[in-house]
Amino acid sequence: MKTEADYYALFDAYRAGTLPDEERVALERRLSADSELARRLQEFEELTGTLTAYGRRLALRRKLHAIHADMDAEQAVRLTPLAKVAEEDERHEQFATGQAPRPLLRISRTEQKLRAFWNGHRATMMVAASVAVMAVFATLLGLEWWRASQKPSLYGYTVLRREVERIKRTQRSMNRTLTQIESQPERSNPGKFSGTGFALTADGYLVTSYHVIQGADSLLIEGHDRQRFRAEPVFTDVAHDLAILQIKDKGFKGFGRLPYSFKRGQSDLGEKVYTLGYPREDLVFNDGSLSARSGFEGDTGFYQISIPVNPGNSGGPLLDDRGNLIGVISGRQMDAQSAAFATKSSYLMRLVDSLGAAGAGEPYNMPRTNQLTGTSRPQQIRKLQDYVFVVKVYE
Amino acid sequence: MGKGQPAYTDEEFVAAIRRDDDRALAQLYRLHFPMISHYVLQNSGTEDEAKDVYQEGVMVFYEKVREGSLELSCQIKTYLYAVCRRLWLKRLTEKTRFGGRLDDHEPYLETGAEADLEVAEERDRQLGTMSQALERIGEPCRSLLEGFYLLDKSMQQLTTEFGYTNADNAKNQKYKCLVRLKKLFFSQYQEHET
Repeated sequence: MKTEADYYALFDAYRAGTLPDEERVALERRLSADSELARRLQEFEELTGTLTAYGRRLALRRKLHAIHADMDAEQAVRLTPLAKVAEEDERHEQFATGQAPRPLLRISRTEQKLRAFWNGHRATMMVAASVAVMAVFATLLGLEWWRASQKPSLYGYTVLRREVERIKRTQRSMNRTLTQIESQPERSNPGKFSGTGFALTADGYLVTSYHVIQGADSLLIEGHDRQRFRAEPVFTDVAHDLAILQIKDKGFKGFGRLPYSFKRGQSDLGEKVYTLGYPREDLVFNDGSLSARSGFEGDTGFYQISIPVNPGNSGGPLLDDRGNLIGVISGRQMDAQSAAFATKSSYLMRLVDSLGAAGAGEPYNMPRTNQLTGTSRPQQIRKLQDYVFVVKVYE
Repeated sequence: MGKGQPAYTDEEFVAAIRRDDDRALAQLYRLHFPMISHYVLQNSGTEDEAKDVYQEGVMVFYEKVREGSLELSCQIKTYLYAVCRRLWLKRLTEKTRFGGRLDDHEPYLETGAEADLEVAEERDRQLGTMSQALERIGEPCRSLLEGFYLLDKSMQQLTTEFGYTNADNAKNQKYKCLVRLKKLFFSQYQEHET
């Protein structure tokens, strides 16, 4: 009786092909007849096959490890061209074996951890960072937008600065008809906004509303006679919506004597008032009465007047029948019929006085006499029109 | 690559590996490692894990090539990427870092990697059992079998090494060892299977 080991010897020889012919034939015959023996052969083959495969796997793994080590070493060489002294010995060995020196990149443990952490969470952190950046910008923009829309006009209150862009279209069609008549159309940058302003002193100070010049880069004053001057804001009072400008042009000779005077006290209810302004390209007159001695939401710095005002009227002078300047047009209430507001002249005077007292700039030579008293309104206006200007704002 | 090494095409790589060209293998290894390393590092792995996964992937590829059963329907690069991605995703789920919920966003590529991996897994299990069996068989059988089958030493060499009187004695010892190994191996392997 053969032991299992003997069978294995037989199988081994059979597989290696060293079995003599007659034995091989006998074995093959037995294999086809004896299923037990066939199973045994199959097991043997599986076993030896697995063993060799295992051997090959180990060899391959060693090979790959060697390749990887090589690669790492090369990278280390690239990263640290100067070998460390500590690796001197190793290098000597490697020189002896004829290989290039391969210093390793040494990284401290904490740095290793940090690197692993960074590698693992880089994507998350980047997303978080971009979200944070977006949030910051969105908040800033939103705040800015909110402030811009809320601050200058409270609910229901509209400032009367004229947005030139809006009117541009109608203006253009008008220009088109004009150019058919005039061969040389007047080319001028219309500016972004415009309002009205008027002379404060004979030597070049002007008054307008603060919201007209708000955010302005440069200001241009244009009179009834189309004469233009460059102006700069001298002082602004946001609370009372006032701004004082000064003409800076060298060629400016002065306005001449102002025909109106400024009223220091308050005016009475029911007083007939009128204004001149530039809601369009031409001087426009409007009149009405003084309807309340407080402005929007009870603001005592303003009068309420029943004058139909339009964008562009802002900063215009408000005069009473006797030609006293009693206010500066500022805005109107949206949801009320013909309710406009004007800053009281007493506040303007207080502002001018305080500026004069502070001694900032040249003294303000306010007009003292009034040439308008007792004249008819068209006469008043004829005198006035040279002292009312368009304020063009460039942003 | 540079360094004056020949640049291989995919077909040349396969042919060279079939010829047992170690330089080609090394070059292939170097060529695609950065890609896998990048992928693993991007997906919350470490450099060492990348290396392990990549070596496993290369082994699957290599063994397929050596068997001659490789049918590449795509570039080697794509094949390796698919294999390594599968391997890494599997490891990640094992680590349960994502609580078993792991979406594979990338489009499915017909690389044959899935099927190859199943075969490779089965093989891994078989080889693992073999390694365990070899551990348990004890000396001198272990050294003898390793010498013959794993290190490709001749019977003559082993006879002198182990101090047998002649090659036949050594052979008989080897067969006895094989029988013991068979028992260990099949008992464990079948255990796993059931």
